[in-house]
Amino acid sequence: MKRDNLAAETNRLLAKVGKRREFDKRLMAAYEVMKSAYTTLGYSRIQSEASAVGVLETKVRARSVMGVIVPEIVPGKIPPIISVTSASAYAAADRLKTLMPELLEIAEAEAKIESIAQELMMTNRKVNALERVLIPELMEQIRYIEGRLEEETLEEFFRAKRVKAVIRGKK
Amino acid sequence: MKPASIVYLVTRIHGLRTHLVQQHDMQILTKARSMKEIGDNLIKTEYGTEISKLPAKEVDAVALEQIFLKTLVDRFLFVTREAQGKMQDLLNRYCERFDVENIKRVIRAKHSGEILEEPSLIPIPREHTLVNFPALLNSKDVEEVVSLLRETPYRPLAQKLETYKQATVTIVLEAALDDIYFSRVWELAGKVSDAEAVKELIGEEIDLRNLLIGLSMKIRDLSPNLIEETFTSSHHRIPRGRLQSLAQARLEDAPSLLATQPYSKLASEAVKISRGGSQMALEVPFLRQMYDDASKALRIHSFDAGYIIAYLMLCECEARNLVTITTGKQLGLSEDEISQATLGIQSKA
Repeated sequence: MKRDNLAAETNRLLAKVGKRREFDKRLMAAYEVMKSAYTTLGYSRIQSEASAVGVLETKVRARSVMGVIVPEIVPGKIPPIISVTSASAYAAADRLKTLMPELLEIAEAEAKIESIAQELMMTNRKVNALERVLIPELMEQIRYIEGRLEEETLEEFFRAKRVKAVIRGKK
Repeated sequence: MKPASIVYLVTRIHGLRTHLVQQHDMQILTKARSMKEIGDNLIKTEYGTEISKLPAKEVDAVALEQIFLKTLVDRFLFVTREAQGKMQDLLNRYCERFDVENIKRVIRAKHSGEILEEPSLIPIPREHTLVNFPALLNSKDVEEVVSLLRETPYRPLAQKLETYKQATVTIVLEAALDDIYFSRVWELAGKVSDAEAVKELIGEEIDLRNLLIGLSMKIRDLSPNLIEETFTSSHHRIPRGRLQSLAQARLEDAPSLLATQPYSKLASEAVKISRGGSQMALEVPFLRQMYDDASKALRIHSFDAGYIIAYLMLCECEARNLVTITTGKQLGLSEDEISQATLGIQSKA
């Protein structure tokens, strides 16, 4: 039951992570613009242009999926980049800004998959241990106990029969 | 008859010009395989003394950029010290561009509440600036920064504080700083010997600055009022009215609106970049234009004051190119990509 639910959740998240390849291409294109800005302005100017933009505050909450603790990212408001004056720094900031929500979404999905996969692995091990070791051992014990009980019942039957014969002989 | 001080200064600069890194050496730098190799290649240049102080492990683009900027400031200040009279006054004001850039950096950081430290600023010797940067760095917000500038030439910045508070964009203050800077330089540019040549170079910088800011803000689709706010009050070939029309017009109409060359060509380039037709940074064609013209001015104005300003512009161009090369190398850019990003490199004498 738990394993099935976790597998279903993983499948749902995999659809999100599946966009990663296409997203990576867009991210690389944004990095190219960023590189161009860096080479045009240099590190110190880019650092300064970036300092005009506030911090993107995000909250990471813990959520439980079938008892598995997974992270949930709650993105805050993306800070405005209007104060970036340089054209090339703005072009880079604009590209990265549009990618940020998707980046967080994919990061969250990947982190969730990691936690769920860990739990699935544990659950699989438990299921395997139950199916291959514990259950066969218990079945063997049940068979042994049943055999013993059968033997004991037979013994008891013969014992009773014998006692009966002895009592009849004495009479 | 030119004043003797100008003749002396121009002669000194003819000598100083030979210290600039030549195109061939720049090409060697773009081919360097490591940052250390770049450092080694620069040892024989004016950057050598500072680079040799760097431990081999610490030679990276950030450390080298600081050295390039420090050398640039030193070059500017050396020329200023050698000048006399009105030329020295003009050069003193011309050097204030470093103050302006540093104040902008402080304002940007204070705007978002970030902590800024002195190494993040362009290193200007304390005796060469009227601005108390340690105090600015310790200020709590933009308002305090502006109030600390009250006793400096940047006092008019206070008039823009209200607009900044309403719009909460630093562009307003940065544009005001540019306006103060260029007004002060423009005022003295017309008073020195060979004023025409000097005004030609400084005027073009003003025009290109206005055009670049205007077009980049048009690409960002900002309001025409805000765009108009960013133009400097001093202008050269592009009159104020034309700039206002540019702010109101569509980006596509900019090339036809700026009928004169090279501005029309630059506007077309900006339109092309905005449509994704070129990966080039928008600043590059504008800076290239400015430094190409400075390079031409070195040939045309070999014996007048225009030569001094052209030399300073080429010092700046060299610093920018070196920053581009080292940053490009650090980011793993290919030789071709770095060459495309570099600006017009000065031609040989």
